[in-house]
Amino acid sequence: MHIPDGFLDLYIATTMFLLSFIVVGISILKVKAIPQKFGIIAAAIFVAQMLDWPIPGGTSAHFMGGSLAGILLGPYAGCLAMTTVLLIQTLVFADGGLTAIGANVWNMAVVNVFLGYWIYKGFERFNRKLAAFLAGWLGVTAAAIFCGIEIGLSKYFVYGLTITVPIMAIWHAVLGIVEGTITASVASVVKPVEVVQSKTSIALIATLIALTPLFAYAAELVGYREPLDFVADKLELEGEMIYKGIIPEYTIPGLDPYFSALISAIIGTFVVFSIVKLCMNLQKKYSKSL
Amino acid sequence: MYELTEKILKESVKYFQNFFIHEYYKKSFLHFVDVRIKFLTALIFVMLAVTTFNFEKVLFLLFSILAIAKAAGIDIKNLIRRSYLFPAFSFIVLIPTNLSYAAIFSLRVFTAIIILQLLVITTPFNEICAALRYFKFPRSLVESMWISYRYILSLFFDLLTTLIARESRRVSKIGYLDVWKKGGKAVGTFFLKSIEKSEKVELAILARGKAVWKKDWKIKSNDLVFLAIVAFVVFWWWLI
Repeated sequence: MHIPDGFLDLYIATTMFLLSFIVVGISILKVKAIPQKFGIIAAAIFVAQMLDWPIPGGTSAHFMGGSLAGILLGPYAGCLAMTTVLLIQTLVFADGGLTAIGANVWNMAVVNVFLGYWIYKGFERFNRKLAAFLAGWLGVTAAAIFCGIEIGLSKYFVYGLTITVPIMAIWHAVLGIVEGTITASVASVVKPVEVVQSKTSIALIATLIALTPLFAYAAELVGYREPLDFVADKLELEGEMIYKGIIPEYTIPGLDPYFSALISAIIGTFVVFSIVKLCMNLQKKYSKSL
Repeated sequence: MYELTEKILKESVKYFQNFFIHEYYKKSFLHFVDVRIKFLTALIFVMLAVTTFNFEKVLFLLFSILAIAKAAGIDIKNLIRRSYLFPAFSFIVLIPTNLSYAAIFSLRVFTAIIILQLLVITTPFNEICAALRYFKFPRSLVESMWISYRYILSLFFDLLTTLIARESRRVSKIGYLDVWKKGGKAVGTFFLKSIEKSEKVELAILARGKAVWKKDWKIKSNDLVFLAIVAFVVFWWWLI
């Protein structure tokens, strides 16, 4: 499920990076006191991924561990542990792309971990083993569906959503049974940590997960056409720009449109951050003088 | 359980081969280039590779990178061996659509993977972590990555020890169901051990003081030569 470079266009890649940045940022704020501990648990998850479980017929499967990380460590530390694993896999083993790191973190460290954890919590009161199985199974299948959505929406990849989503979903729904069984086996032996969560963070992350396809689709729309331009064309209106801006239409002459859109985004983000920082400094200074 | 242990032992051999390959790889010119420059260069080259479907541009970039690798003394065969699998798979998947699209798509992916592999082969992981800190990556995340990396081997041996101990106590052949049940318990025990270890390591780190990310960030002549080469490649990519 590790997406390499070249599969996602930069609109999707940037959108997924920003979404992951928000959730990983929230997770860092929540668990900043215990980095050493989840560092080693992350290593344990990494090592446990090496286990090949025999399947009748001479084949085998290995597990991803996102839901298990969520169950054992809680969603925030689990998200950070999986992010750590994914960063090491990219930067040490070149498994997964640099430009696709946001999408990979989103699928395996956000969707898989948080969804797995919530499913586990939802069914825990009925039966712990069943809850862990469902968390492992549905968590990995959901992550695969999101992966299919991202690749399917990418303009670089010729197959559309109708092909990528069912293929990813069906295969991972089958493989997810192995993931679910391993998660249930381990969860029956190890007692998960108790996590106190803030309702605001849960609501924010759940909303982001639910809206991801919309974000990705919207990102693609930016690549195609502005809605107002579309309406203006329909009405056969013609306009003249009063001010063209410093980087008109997010394009820099001579550069590839995707590349110049990315550079425009970086410049824009930098400008916004600088203004916010300036305002905060002024506000601090002003409040001190009072 | 026997099959599981045997499979793990086989996997471990492959794993260690992969794991140490870049640690003990012979030193090249690229090893001495500033990691920050290498990291940003890798990012720029990956961007150049993935943002175009122009066959000439991608081919030029690929050959430039291979030429840089060859000039620096990197084993090209090894580099290709580490990178070909995923692009080959992509090519097969995309053949039914359009042959030229499949070829150019896979070539882009191949080029991007070669770039990342080159970074991985020529840069020790502690330097990558130091560079990430320099670029203001959150301390907790970088510390977590560095600790995970250092303890992966130790935890791997813990897992092997657990499995061998269980295997040595087995007296009869067991079926698939038992393999799965006992395997689950073995992994559960392994996670318990890793949680115990994390507590001990955390105490040890607190006693000794936390890791400090200090590095002499000075641009040297090697870096300037490398930057000139990168600028040349980017300029020609843009001209094509």
